[in-house]
Amino acid sequence: MSVAAAGERLPLGVSRRLRWAPALASLFGLLVLAATVEVVIDGSVGHSSLIPKQPAIAGWMSGIGERLGFRVFLIAVLVSTAAYVGLLALAFAKGERAISRRWLLALIGVLHLVIFLGPVLISTDVFSYIAYARMGVEHGVNPYLHGPASISTDPIFKYVGHDWRNVASAYGPLYTLISYPLAPLGVSGALWAMKVEAMLASLGTLALVWRCAKARGLDPIPAVVAVAINPLYVIYGLGGAHNDLIMMLAMMAAVALTLTPREGAGGERREAGAAAIIVAGALTKATVAALLPFLILSRRRLAPVLGALGALVAGAAIGYIAFGRHGVDLVSALNRDASFVSTDSFANEIAHLFGKAGVFPVDHTLLKGALVLIVLHLLWRTWRGYDWISASGWSLLAISVTSTWLLAWYILWPLPLAVVARDRRLLVATLLVQAMFVTHQMTPLIAPVS
Amino acid sequence: MSAPSTPDPGGGPWRRLPERLRPRERELPGRGELRIVEGAVLVLVALLLAVATVNDVVRQAGVNHRLVADLRTWRHYTHHNYKNVTTDQLTFGAATKRDVVCGNTVPGPPKQRTQICLAVTGPTRAGLRTVSGGWYLPAGTEYDKRAVRYGCFGQGTVGLCRK
Repeated sequence: MSVAAAGERLPLGVSRRLRWAPALASLFGLLVLAATVEVVIDGSVGHSSLIPKQPAIAGWMSGIGERLGFRVFLIAVLVSTAAYVGLLALAFAKGERAISRRWLLALIGVLHLVIFLGPVLISTDVFSYIAYARMGVEHGVNPYLHGPASISTDPIFKYVGHDWRNVASAYGPLYTLISYPLAPLGVSGALWAMKVEAMLASLGTLALVWRCAKARGLDPIPAVVAVAINPLYVIYGLGGAHNDLIMMLAMMAAVALTLTPREGAGGERREAGAAAIIVAGALTKATVAALLPFLILSRRRLAPVLGALGALVAGAAIGYIAFGRHGVDLVSALNRDASFVSTDSFANEIAHLFGKAGVFPVDHTLLKGALVLIVLHLLWRTWRGYDWISASGWSLLAISVTSTWLLAWYILWPLPLAVVARDRRLLVATLLVQAMFVTHQMTPLIAPVS
Repeated sequence: MSAPSTPDPGGGPWRRLPERLRPRERELPGRGELRIVEGAVLVLVALLLAVATVNDVVRQAGVNHRLVADLRTWRHYTHHNYKNVTTDQLTFGAATKRDVVCGNTVPGPPKQRTQICLAVTGPTRAGLRTVSGGWYLPAGTEYDKRAVRYGCFGQGTVGLCRK
């Protein structure tokens, strides 16, 4: 597979110097692909610490590999991460002279296909999504009042994560309604549909990243490489068919709408549309609401406020009609989730650093206080002309870093914004945080338990 | 405010505000004190996170080494080379480094036979730790609680059994 950009005429010396770049990019791309294929093939063998119990959707591959254990998985993540860093460096240094558009599209397509055909990786969340849909459609149970334990006889129940069996939905009513038509498809049918949804959302997000980068006068190749080849994005985000991908699609759609000329009625309509899309995204997964104050402050006109209010009223009405008061009470759902503590959260790591056994209620208060200060600072900066996309990205990064419940796909939130932000420090910070997260995953490789 | 910025061309309702409070369309490159302060804070936060991450990896690796020694100790003590042996580091408190290791006394599905639990303590020597005592759990016990324990033996298990 050639990755050289076609039709370029360069001086002989430059041409020689660049000859190694496409070959190196090909090597990095193949390493990312090989690592992903390894995870998928071994994952298809069946249930393990990393592969949740699931219908045998990838059973046809199960004869090839061995059951996925921490060692192989972590080595694959390390290889993929190293190759990603190399590819990203080449993309920033040489752009299309190292990585052609066609080659990049092919790599993204193959990675998506491999993940799509494989089993659900790492997380049981997708089974919770299906369970909430089946609760409402097949059993007439409100998913905002009860957990999946209320449908313990349903075939999806055995796949729902143990910790989530008694937990009501924390997702927005729009997302729950989107997932309702999938419930009658049966467990396997709904799972495939969720995988299609995740794949389309991912491809849509990447297309919008490309478009936004171009609109900002940035090279779209490194921007897309940074998101699409990112191992956390591919293996954890896409591999788990997380609805965060739908949230990110809404986020980038809103950003794309604001990166067009502001003048005239068309400009105002686009800004109102962008605000409405952010609200719709928040009715899928609430986190994306963090963008709204920055968009409104940067525009300082009525259109985005009206767009947001219109979408909020419509969304709240639909949520209330479908699910009652609890369907629109996302704040209490977020407060509940914010009290959870994951071993990978930075808050937990800092607590250990200072000799504490874990995170205590006072730490939650301190972290919330820190987050409020950061957001206030960013709001002030946006008011004074700072790039609202950068400010939104910093906010999402701050939310994930200060959260006591941190999962791999949460630190993906700021990435699509970071690659189109004017403040390049955001991309560096996001990638550093991701690198620390990956480092923290490596304990079983250093000290395996058997 | 160190980053000077262009005034809002439209002016609008904000023009009555003092200049330093007025909104701006875009920041201008200035002397950048604010950027330096922000950068310094970011570097400090990054350092804190990096140190906390490395510290936690080292801490967890130590815990894992201890777990390996716990499992080996249980197998050595019971002379059963079973795979499904569970360890718990919270019964005596995470800070005590006293762990509880449980496994079946005879072959069978996990937890479906009478289990023997060992209280394991002290440093690791030759890959093994010291067994300070233990107790039994009836077949089918999912969670190790005082109410279901019986036959406590050894030092350090006083009051840990129901009978």
